[in-house]
Amino acid sequence: MSRTAALSSFIDSAPPGELADVTKAIKSILGTESVQNELSPAFQKYNEEQFTTTKLPGGSTEVLVSEYNSLGDGRYYDAETQSSFAFDHAMGKASAVQSHVLESQQEDLLKSLAKSLSTHASEHYPKSSHGVYPTADDTALAILTVANKYSPTNYWNGRWRSSYVYTPSSGTITGSIKVDVHYYEDGNVRLLTEKKVALSVGSGSGAEVMRKISTEEKKYQEDLNRAFGSLSEGAFKSLRRQLPITRQKIEWEKISGYRLGQDIGGGRR
Amino acid sequence: MGDQGSGSYSPDSWDLCSTPPAAPESPTDEPLTFEGPGLGPKRYSSNPTIITPDIYRPKPQRMADPIDSALDLLRRLNPKDVKRNVDHIIQLNPALEEDLLESVDIPLTVKRCSKTKRDFLCCDYNRDGDSWRSPWSNEFEPAIEEGVTPSDRVRKMEVKANEAFDVYRELYFEGGISSVYLWDMDDGFAGCVLLKKAVNPSPKSSGSWDSIHVFDAQDRARTSHYKLTSTVILSLGTDSEALGGLDLSGNMVRQVEADMAVEDDTSHVANIGKMVEDMELKMRNLLQEVYFGKAKDVVGDLRSIPPLSQTNRDRATQREMINSMGR
Repeated sequence: MSRTAALSSFIDSAPPGELADVTKAIKSILGTESVQNELSPAFQKYNEEQFTTTKLPGGSTEVLVSEYNSLGDGRYYDAETQSSFAFDHAMGKASAVQSHVLESQQEDLLKSLAKSLSTHASEHYPKSSHGVYPTADDTALAILTVANKYSPTNYWNGRWRSSYVYTPSSGTITGSIKVDVHYYEDGNVRLLTEKKVALSVGSGSGAEVMRKISTEEKKYQEDLNRAFGSLSEGAFKSLRRQLPITRQKIEWEKISGYRLGQDIGGGRR
Repeated sequence: MGDQGSGSYSPDSWDLCSTPPAAPESPTDEPLTFEGPGLGPKRYSSNPTIITPDIYRPKPQRMADPIDSALDLLRRLNPKDVKRNVDHIIQLNPALEEDLLESVDIPLTVKRCSKTKRDFLCCDYNRDGDSWRSPWSNEFEPAIEEGVTPSDRVRKMEVKANEAFDVYRELYFEGGISSVYLWDMDDGFAGCVLLKKAVNPSPKSSGSWDSIHVFDAQDRARTSHYKLTSTVILSLGTDSEALGGLDLSGNMVRQVEADMAVEDDTSHVANIGKMVEDMELKMRNLLQEVYFGKAKDVVGDLRSIPPLSQTNRDRATQREMINSMGR
């Protein structure tokens, strides 16, 4: 594997909110500060896939970057504030804000979806960034949400991403929900999930589309919560018992007297 | 930590040290006191003043040492890819190879002992070049000339320890593989206890557990001072139509020290057995808490199933009730 490919795989696997730490470690391992050029495609990929958020200069809300709101040449737009901005992928900073008027054949639908998405987000995400953007050929709309919570002082960080493409002509919603949680106090534990979503909607109003999405997200989160329980009761329990079947710790002084399959209750021969 | 009085053993008074998985800096200018490649005590030097638990604590910010940065990076990247990531880091900075292989725990591999036809576990501690010593036959697979083996006294203990941990494995894991390796030290001996088990409770879910317990025992009059560093690598996953893909993987590291009475070499096996048993119980509880409690809580912090307006209303109502009761 080439050096750039190896470095890019590190960037790719950076946990939520830890891109700067990963970059810093890479520089120290290589003993050089000049990796920016080499890594800039990896940074861009990471930011667009992870829906990295940034505050616009002078603004208060965080806007996200993705392939859907990219204008090329490192510029992105935010439909809500009708502005475009340059994004520094290595530093995560926005600059050079300009006004940007979105032109789309789906303008009314886009506005109604954006409104419903905003309501949905405020009801279910304590803190999130979201947006609705026409796809490149303007035949569909991308509906994106990202919620981050970083708590590095407690050694954990988390990210929830929802990404859907709604195609009005076919009445379909396709996309995915991804969860990424990193816990690293005296260890390194990572939860990574991905749920593919494929839904169809009858009436095509923005509110109806969001109702479908909302139901799907709720179901997924409930399924996920149940999965924690069944992994704990299933795989985890069958890996190692909390205590031997006798419910007693081992008497190590008498260990040579234990005979497998005989003294061990119910053991196999 | 540490001195609990000669000969006393009280597991409940052990403190679990707060230890990030980074192993201590390798004292590169320190001559190694053991012989044979890959057969040495990795975490513990024979000189007790070099290694203290403080070494396991995060270092204050300074111009970062590449090895510290490599360990920091490995603490962040997906733990499931640790083997691949270690290989990549070594490619990027070959000078880190030895330190990384010594300090990073990767899932254990399995080999078959050709003499006894029993499986055994491989790690850096039973490795000599490209061969691994079987705990069952004391011979290397594949065979090599003059591979380093423990002294007769330590090998006797190693045989006993393997028998004992085979029972332990059956009682707690009801399957899996165990291996214990010991090696001689100037003022005692050191060793590692390895346990591995994988399960597929259903076609759609899987799990694996690797325990790596590395210890040393320093002989004192009638007692011995034990230091134990334990890593558990736990990987769980499911993949189904309804839930999609879920992977919950990682590792946790803990360290304890204890002084325990020693009458003869049998006491060592019992003492180490108790320490490992207590440590695994604590770590199992900790893993349960982090994997199924903390991870789930963080998801709940990111997204709320009940509408937040309702939650906020409920909270306001509750506050009002509490306030009115206080009046």
